[in-house]
Amino acid sequence: MTQYRLEKRREPSRFMLYATPVAAVALTMIIGAIIFSAIGYNGIGAVREIFLTPLTNSFKWQDLGVKAAPLIIIGVGLSIAYRANVWNIGAEGQYIMGGLAATWVALASHGAGGWWTLPVMMLAGIVGGAAYAAIPALLRTRLNVNEILTSLMLTYASVQLIYYLVRAPWKDPMGMGFPQTRRFASEALLPNIIPGTIVHAGVPIAIIVALVAWFIMSRSVFGYQMRVVGAAPHAARYGGFSENKTIWLALLVSGALAGLAGMLEVAGPFQRMVPGFPTNYGFTAIIVAFLGRLNPLGVIFAGIVMAITFVGGEVAQTTIGLPNAATGVFQAMMLFFLLAGDILVRYRLKRVIPQAERPA
Amino acid sequence: MTLGLAIAIIVTVVGASTPILIAALGELVVEKSGVLNLGVEGMMLVGAIAGFVIVFTTGNHYLAILLAAAAGVAASMIFAFLTLSLSANQTATGLALTIFGTGFSALAGQGYSARPVTLLGPLFPAELATHPVGRVLFGYSALVYFSLIMVFVVWWFLKKTRAGLILRAVGENDQSAHSIGYSVIGVRYAAVAFGGAMAGIAGACFPLLLTPQWAERMTAGRGWIAVALVVFASWKPFRLLAGAYLFGLVMTMELYAKAGGGPLSAIPAELWAAMPYLATVVVLVLISIRRDASSNAPACLSRPFLPSN
Repeated sequence: MTQYRLEKRREPSRFMLYATPVAAVALTMIIGAIIFSAIGYNGIGAVREIFLTPLTNSFKWQDLGVKAAPLIIIGVGLSIAYRANVWNIGAEGQYIMGGLAATWVALASHGAGGWWTLPVMMLAGIVGGAAYAAIPALLRTRLNVNEILTSLMLTYASVQLIYYLVRAPWKDPMGMGFPQTRRFASEALLPNIIPGTIVHAGVPIAIIVALVAWFIMSRSVFGYQMRVVGAAPHAARYGGFSENKTIWLALLVSGALAGLAGMLEVAGPFQRMVPGFPTNYGFTAIIVAFLGRLNPLGVIFAGIVMAITFVGGEVAQTTIGLPNAATGVFQAMMLFFLLAGDILVRYRLKRVIPQAERPA
Repeated sequence: MTLGLAIAIIVTVVGASTPILIAALGELVVEKSGVLNLGVEGMMLVGAIAGFVIVFTTGNHYLAILLAAAAGVAASMIFAFLTLSLSANQTATGLALTIFGTGFSALAGQGYSARPVTLLGPLFPAELATHPVGRVLFGYSALVYFSLIMVFVVWWFLKKTRAGLILRAVGENDQSAHSIGYSVIGVRYAAVAFGGAMAGIAGACFPLLLTPQWAERMTAGRGWIAVALVVFASWKPFRLLAGAYLFGLVMTMELYAKAGGGPLSAIPAELWAAMPYLATVVVLVLISIRRDASSNAPACLSRPFLPSN
């Protein structure tokens, strides 16, 4: 009988680093088809509709761009934070606060806006997201409170803040009782960049954000500091990098980007603040960051893959009646396979010949 | 406040605290073994839908609790395999388990929303609970007594038994536990399975004890509060009991503020709803002001184990 043993690699395999995300997506398609068949759905049909139809149907490409944009922007921020070993998992809350801050600008300037409205909203979104991420940063650096729990608890609180604002002070008086704000004035809405489609200015912004972040992370002292503090805190201290400063930067940058995504969503697809604004992009972006290997360029591809599953999930719902929740299961499976495959980055499988079978 | 109202509040607090207490006791044992499983929320949702579906189809509450525990164990084994056998990152894998549990429970619960079930009734005969004092002592379902007994059991196991000593040794110093012949990975698998069972039962509390129906994400972050409570309780079961009841009180205040007028209802309902989460942040802050929060944490918490030989 042949046995296998794990042997530690001298250094992490670059091939496996980039091969495992691809393998994770492929495995999700294969195992997903089997599992969904086993529980009574058309498994192969589900995989085809979720993963392939959005790519083969060119009408869906604009949806892909619109869905991928917030995932890429938030995912880039999270990948920077996770690189520094800072576990911001409250991006959903920072996205919400960015959206709320932008909404405030849009409502306050309603009827008195101008060319400056969108830039100010963008700034408000960035500041709103960063300010909300500053709370876990302050608590972590001053009091050593775990940022995982605080950033997440603040997300639950921010959802309630939306409910309060759209039901009371910001409620549209002409909204026939619906809990939502008025529709933003035209100068507070993101322009469409391709006429006749739903593709808004947030899509190119997402690509620019990722490219700039890639450049900064790979070419600047800032990027080097984030990577060193995350990978080897002791060496970082020896090298004069402050751990607290890194934590602050990681949370502020990831919060600011989540807030920017919130602004782009509220001024783009939503056009007003509604109770349904928490879209889970902040949580899905966690998967995007990992699938993109915490590399801003990888995050572009991972964001598109995740957008495919969202758009494909909607297709599968209408064509073969697959419940919408199936998308979440596919996404989680992808993350499981990716994390499981990580062992092959650090270890190699080695064939072991048992003693007894060895020729004398 | 009338006696009747006071007793009604106590009974509500106990109910609201029970799922958090059960889940947190499970996580406490997991963390004592040196593993940080952030998938509690996901395992609770898996337990909630399993419990709901079983009680909906069979009407048997105890079978529902049992199978919810089994479902929680099954979910926890995904985490255990990835983190213990493949030494995947525990934080990331725990998050993945929560994302999975949320999606899986929503998928499995498709078509079950707004279908009522009956709540699990009190364990003792109604005559015992007619007197106010009797109601406070004997007016609860079996899940409540289970949670209280488990506080004692977990304390006794960790403090007084040899197996508990081994578990703590594994969590404090995995390399030496390994070198004197204990199976670090085996002990951790067992601890994670126990945590999964407890989270599954805690999830089942939602449809069986609190609201007799299934709703997506019905645990609403209680699993994360349970994780925070373990830190709050500095890994001590009886402090966990106090912490869980404190949170039950905060949640109950929301109900009473919404229902009856008075000064409490001047505060917006949304602020009341946000209170448990804000309270968690406040509690985490207070605990770290009082002392270094990590001082009581098991030394090997969330470190993957690789035998040095």
